[in-house]
Amino acid sequence: MIVQTAFADNAQEKALSVRDLTKDYPGVRAVDTVSFDIDRNTVHCLVGENGAGKSTIVKMLTGALAPTSGSMAILGRDYAPSSTQDARESGIGTLFQELHVVDQLTVLENLTLGMEASRLGFLVKSDLEERVTKTLAAIEPTIDPSARVSSLSVAQKQIVEIARAASSGASIIIMDEPTAALSEREVERLFGVIRRLRDSDVTVIYISHKLDEIFELGDNVTVMRDGKHIATKPLADVNGRPELIEMMVGRAITHDYESRGEIADKPVLTVKGLSNYLLKDVSFHVNEGEIVGFYGLVGAGKTEVARAIYGADKADGQIDFLGRKRPSSPKEAIEAGIALVPEERRTQGLFTELTIRRNIPIMNIRKLASFGVFKDEREKEVAREYVGKLGIATNSIEKYAEKLSGGNQQKVVLSKCLFADADMLLLDEPTRGVDVGAKSEIYDLIRDLANNGRAICIFSSELEEVLGICDRVFLMYDGRVEAEIQNGAEVDIPQILNVVTGGGRENP
Amino acid sequence: MTDQAIAGRRLAERDNRLSDEMFITSLVAGAAVALFLLASILVPNFFQFQNVVNLVTNNWAVISLGVGVTFLLVSGNFDLSVGGIVALSGVLAVWFAQSTEGANALSSGWGMPTWLAMVCALIGAMLIGAINAVFVVALRVPSIIVTLGTMMLARGIAQVVTQGSQRNTNLPSDFGVLGNMTMFGTSIKLPVVLMAVLILVAVFVERKTVFGRLTYLIGANPVASRLSGVDNARHVIKLYLFSAAMAGAVGILLASEFKSGFSNRGMLMEFDALVISLLGGVAIAGGFGSVIGMFFGAIILATVTSAATGLVLSPDWQFTLKAIAVFIAIMAQTWALARRHA
Repeated sequence: MIVQTAFADNAQEKALSVRDLTKDYPGVRAVDTVSFDIDRNTVHCLVGENGAGKSTIVKMLTGALAPTSGSMAILGRDYAPSSTQDARESGIGTLFQELHVVDQLTVLENLTLGMEASRLGFLVKSDLEERVTKTLAAIEPTIDPSARVSSLSVAQKQIVEIARAASSGASIIIMDEPTAALSEREVERLFGVIRRLRDSDVTVIYISHKLDEIFELGDNVTVMRDGKHIATKPLADVNGRPELIEMMVGRAITHDYESRGEIADKPVLTVKGLSNYLLKDVSFHVNEGEIVGFYGLVGAGKTEVARAIYGADKADGQIDFLGRKRPSSPKEAIEAGIALVPEERRTQGLFTELTIRRNIPIMNIRKLASFGVFKDEREKEVAREYVGKLGIATNSIEKYAEKLSGGNQQKVVLSKCLFADADMLLLDEPTRGVDVGAKSEIYDLIRDLANNGRAICIFSSELEEVLGICDRVFLMYDGRVEAEIQNGAEVDIPQILNVVTGGGRENP
Repeated sequence: MTDQAIAGRRLAERDNRLSDEMFITSLVAGAAVALFLLASILVPNFFQFQNVVNLVTNNWAVISLGVGVTFLLVSGNFDLSVGGIVALSGVLAVWFAQSTEGANALSSGWGMPTWLAMVCALIGAMLIGAINAVFVVALRVPSIIVTLGTMMLARGIAQVVTQGSQRNTNLPSDFGVLGNMTMFGTSIKLPVVLMAVLILVAVFVERKTVFGRLTYLIGANPVASRLSGVDNARHVIKLYLFSAAMAGAVGILLASEFKSGFSNRGMLMEFDALVISLLGGVAIAGGFGSVIGMFFGAIILATVTSAATGLVLSPDWQFTLKAIAVFIAIMAQTWALARRHA
């Protein structure tokens, strides 16, 4: 890695340079002294596993976050955006995953939105319309500027948004997973647009989990890992997927999986052909006392599998849990003996403005009541019991949940599930935002629960987590279960990464 | 004794701290008492026991409506339809009870016995509650819009039935009994006693039952409550039916008291019920508040308006005073909670 204190001499040729860029969050360094250059008029890809620091870098580039230290420069000039507005004015456009077009207006009105010339508050005609029409025609001539945006497809709306960024004078356009919602043909068209942009003096920063797209489209690639910059080089010099994956993973992933012995083939949960808006024909089974993992990147469908089993989302296909009635709501799932620790702890799992005591019994609240009347004393006993059992660090059961650390909050959410007397636990990102100490305590607890005969499903985007505690792992990509692996010392990590980035399709 | 048991006992000692709800309720109650004392200094002859009684008895209707409104607010939902339901149920009760052969359309009704007329009027009121529930729960229309609509719908039906005026003739002689019955040999009327019973039951439900607990959970975080196995939809339906039933009962008792069904009755009561809930510390975003707080909110509002109007200022100042009281109350609540959590 080259570390420079000053920008290079040929800095004007660099569309963007970052030097020693660092972003600290309390307790974590999300981006660690990262330096790299992006050549002008190229498609520059940014790759890395979940949590590698890509989105944090993007947020700093777009002015949504201020760096802790380090500097950025556009075409050799210092660049330190104070807001997203400031970043736009400096020539950085962004294509977000959620579209920001106004359906009720025409394409042209959308393109000029916020740039209208006005005098004394009245709109006046200007050459703006002509200019944006030209820009749109240059990148995608098939879109009629007078068409109403509501009549366009998602892909076309995306192109309108790109045209808007380009016509507002953006010299750099950042695209974060732009193909997530597109069909194959639409992807091809988008790539055409991106290439034409590059040829018309625009630099594109392209972020995607789909490595094939990177090889097809990219000129250069920057690989990030654990907040650090690993490499920046022309894709022509990268020796195919294996080398890219190796750079993304780098270190041997340490996983201290200890086999929990032979697990009897005694299915408690059998899922067949689960399909919905995202999932495609997902089938698997989970045995009694088994810890099963679902690993995949963001958007692979892990959370959707959990929610479908839990009755929180609708899905076609068969779900059989111990021959009990298939739950059509979370309430019925809990009655059937299934409990979920949701993905978003603070908004979905926890009642942050309630105390620990009030949080713990929620999933099985009637257990603490007789004839509908609540037994306060019993509730306090239960709260103390779980605070002690799970080692929740607090000086009082009357402490508000929002005041607890991430790890202790998650223990409260786990307590909720345990109090529900579930036979199966669905744990979606169980240790996200949890410190190392609490992490290993949560893992111990999960193993304990499994040893007592409960079935556990862990849905995680951390490979180390999945390989650390799961007995069997299902690899997900694009709404499908692509592979099943038995955990053990000999798991092939590059192959796992190959599968979850879409490499399992061509060579199964 | 294990470490855990010792830790448990230490925890138990900390549990005696007041909860946020108790804190705010005490604050509101204190403010009500302080305002009453202040009014007693400023206004001659204000400091009388009878005056305290009047503050409650003159406001039984709004306080009763406030119970349903408070439960709904705590669950994160508005109910602006209660004033309209008061008018509708009163008009319906009178219409159903009027004898069939009156001299004109406004003096003839359905000829039902009083009890049946009142039961049917109550069912009519609950139908409005059911409409609220369908739109809010099944169609996910924001409750403030739905209940604004049903507020006008209920009053609109009342206006059609009374032809924009009132029905007060050809009623059975026992129609006025319920609303005018005095209790315990005092001048206190039955509706006031019913209000007191309602408050006691509501406080019990809110503090001590699973039903009350679920109401808070839904208001505090509807997403988490659904994922925690709470049937939000079913619970909110129950709350709307309850609120409409209480409003219906208030309307019927008022109709009985005045032996008339009047389409303008209960005008603006929905806003008064909302105002006293907010004055009493109920959070407009849901998840927080209490019926007792609402009760003291009503006392504050009554003290301010009755002490000021007619004695210091002209009655024309009533709305302005209410507005000032609401602003102060909401700022005080925000400030008090922020300090507590700092």
